[in-house]
Amino acid sequence: MDLRLSDEQQMIVETVRRYVAEEIVPLEADLDPDAGALAPDDFDRLVDKTKEMGFYGLDIPEEFGGPGLDTTTRALMAIEMSQHRAGLYNPCYGTFGGAGLAQLYEATDEQKEKYLYPTLRGEKKGCFALTEPSGGSDPARAIQTKGHEDGDQWVLNGSKLYISGADKADFALVFARTSDDPGRNGVTAFLVDTDTSGFNVRRVVHTLRSTHYATEISFDEMRVSKDQILGELNRGFAIANDRLSRQRIPYAAGCLGAAIKAQEMAIEWAKSRETFGSVLAEKQAVQWMIVDNEIDIRHARYCILEAAQKADRGERFRTEAAMAKLVASEASGRVVDRAMQIHGGLGMTKDLPLERWYRELRIRRVGEGPSEVQRLIMAREILGGSFK
Amino acid sequence: MKVVVCVKQIPDPADPGALDPETRTLKRDVKLILDESDSYGVEMGLQLVDNAGGGEVTLVSMAPNNEQSGLRTALAMGAASATLISDTELIGSDALTTAKVLAAAIKDQEPDLVIAGSESSDGYTGTVPEMIAAVLDLPSVTAAKSIEVGGDAIQVQRQTDAGYDVVDCPLPAVISVTAGVVEPRYPSFKGIMAAKSKPLDEKSSADLGFAADAVGWAGSGQEIVDVAEAPQREAGEVIEDDGEAHLKIVEFLENLKVI
Ligand SMILES: Cc1cc2nc3c(=O)[nH]c(=O)nc-3n(C[C@@H](O)[C@H](O)[C@H](O)COP(=O)(O)OP(=O)(O)OC[C@H]3O[C@@H](n4cnc5c(N)ncnc54)[C@H](O)[C@@H]3O)c2cc1C
Ligand SMILES: Cc1cc2nc3c(=O)[nH]c(=O)nc-3n(C[C@H](O)[C@H](O)[C@H](O)COP(=O)(O)OP(=O)(O)OC[C@H]3O[C@@H](n4cnc5c(N)ncnc54)[C@H](O)[C@@H]3O)c2cc1C
Repeated sequence: MDLRLSDEQQMIVETVRRYVAEEIVPLEADLDPDAGALAPDDFDRLVDKTKEMGFYGLDIPEEFGGPGLDTTTRALMAIEMSQHRAGLYNPCYGTFGGAGLAQLYEATDEQKEKYLYPTLRGEKKGCFALTEPSGGSDPARAIQTKGHEDGDQWVLNGSKLYISGADKADFALVFARTSDDPGRNGVTAFLVDTDTSGFNVRRVVHTLRSTHYATEISFDEMRVSKDQILGELNRGFAIANDRLSRQRIPYAAGCLGAAIKAQEMAIEWAKSRETFGSVLAEKQAVQWMIVDNEIDIRHARYCILEAAQKADRGERFRTEAAMAKLVASEASGRVVDRAMQIHGGLGMTKDLPLERWYRELRIRRVGEGPSEVQRLIMAREILGGSFK
Repeated sequence: MKVVVCVKQIPDPADPGALDPETRTLKRDVKLILDESDSYGVEMGLQLVDNAGGGEVTLVSMAPNNEQSGLRTALAMGAASATLISDTELIGSDALTTAKVLAAAIKDQEPDLVIAGSESSDGYTGTVPEMIAAVLDLPSVTAAKSIEVGGDAIQVQRQTDAGYDVVDCPLPAVISVTAGVVEPRYPSFKGIMAAKSKPLDEKSSADLGFAADAVGWAGSGQEIVDVAEAPQREAGEVIEDDGEAHLKIVEFLENLKVI
């Protein structure tokens, strides 16, 4: 595996690094430590910049007007983009644009007009409603939201839990059981406007994450027309699998970015802070923490780049993507934890980004498939056959 | 409008450099990058060409080890082509030799305007641009904060301690640009992808007509005889506040002529 960057990748990395240092970090210094958004005029000004740079809409496929980045370059950018306080869940405060839900790219033309393109233009927001109170690790079996047919409509009843941003969304991608099949072949994906009668946001669910809180929603006799089905009936889990696996790679890379910055801070602090007559960097206990951080960082980096390179070569990368997600989220959590320890009391304060990364990295071990589920994916691939 | 911008490629200031114990010059065997001081000149050049509605920015750089990274960054920003002068004969060149070599490369291009930084971030003698002007026998304005083109002359706002001078100058001319006066653009994705395929002409000092003993250590009038640590700063003066401390502080600052 070649870990060297191409000249172009190097330049892209340097450009994003400069963007974070010159545009994002100075603005962030004036924001509340838990803020999740820039002031609107700053946001608009920076979006103009990323558009001029030709980087707006990073994750939009080329045929839909995106820049057409390969997965490796995208991951390298993600490593840079998360190196600021809000960087984990809000890399560069969204100034590089969003791509919308991966599934929308497989929608019908009409659905694309109604949901995808307005999302890409920044006019509509969607939310992803899969997890239910009955569980999210194994949604195919856990989903209890039920749909029954009534003329040319489906009527949905049930509830969803931990759905990010449902209260601010214009539409939701809702997964519901539409047949007697108890597993993945009985679930359909529906595009639902959030102003549909029967769509209720019951409450906000606060978590360790500062912004983008989760919500609980319910569907009471919610009527959805048949042309709101995304993909095929009872094939809701078959949509966009490749895109979804691919997304795990920049997701993992985002975790790594925070770890790299935390390590940089830890080294700087260890070299300057004195206790018991010498700087921290001279104590073996601290040296080992720094070294363990480096090992964690490199481990994550190698896993991420291997997954990305395989994806770019068109090879199977399911195990690699799962491993990258697991290793990066767990290793980065350890790195930030050690960096906080080296900073002592300062590490606990909101004067530094460490405490926010610490909280948000904890979620990363559960969101987008918990570590155990990533292991399950890998076990199936490694053991194969009858152990599936 | 044809603008030549001089760009120096320097060791990354974020990586602490080391001195070569023999020559006592900065080691340059690491990857060199575009000197930030020169990104302002590149931006200024690109803006002038944009405003003129035509023309191009070309780059010249003299650097060891055929280094191209810094030039590629400036090409990604939008410069059209670059000339790199690099060979082992050039090792040890002083500022005047550098100016002579750069001037020879610039001359061939017959530019309307030559832009350089006011001073580089590593060597910072701040002498190269004016010496280029002298070698080429062109007028020169230093410390420009803005340049306005009108026909075959320019009007330059030249930064001073008190404010700025307005200087009219015929073209062609050599202008040095102060750091921070424009906001260097980010290289665009397209620019980055195109940078590698833009023309980069590599020349040696011999190609430009210099004999081996006219450049490098041999051609330079300089020798670095000793390098010493900068002296530790002395302890400051502590003024105890007996109710009159402000007067002493004001007097101190007045003596320094800072207020
Ligand atoms: C083989 C080799 C080894 C070198 N080793 C050293 C070294 O050890 N230390 C060192 O400082 N320099 C080194 N140089 C570069 C050297 O020639 C300097 O450029 C020169 O001494 C002027 O230095 P300055 O930084 O004081 O220029 P300044 O007068 O401070 O620079 C002002 C402006 O002039 C222009 N300029 C200056 N130098 C160059 C250049 N080389 N190419 C293009 N534009 C330029 C830039 O626009 C710059 O902003 C080396 C060059 C070569 C080819
Ligand atoms: C802040 C936040 C935002 C979220 N946003 C969304 C969203 O927008 N949309 C959405 O649909 N969901 C969202 N989720 C839900 C998230 O995807 C689920 O929490 C996650 O999939 C786990 O599901 P669960 O909480 O029901 O845990 P369960 O499925 O009940 O699992 C409990 C624990 O058991 C472990 N486990 C499960 N199976 C095994 C096994 N075979 N072997 C060993 N251990 C196992 C799991 O790893 C987990 O740690 C969000 C969650 C959080 C915390």
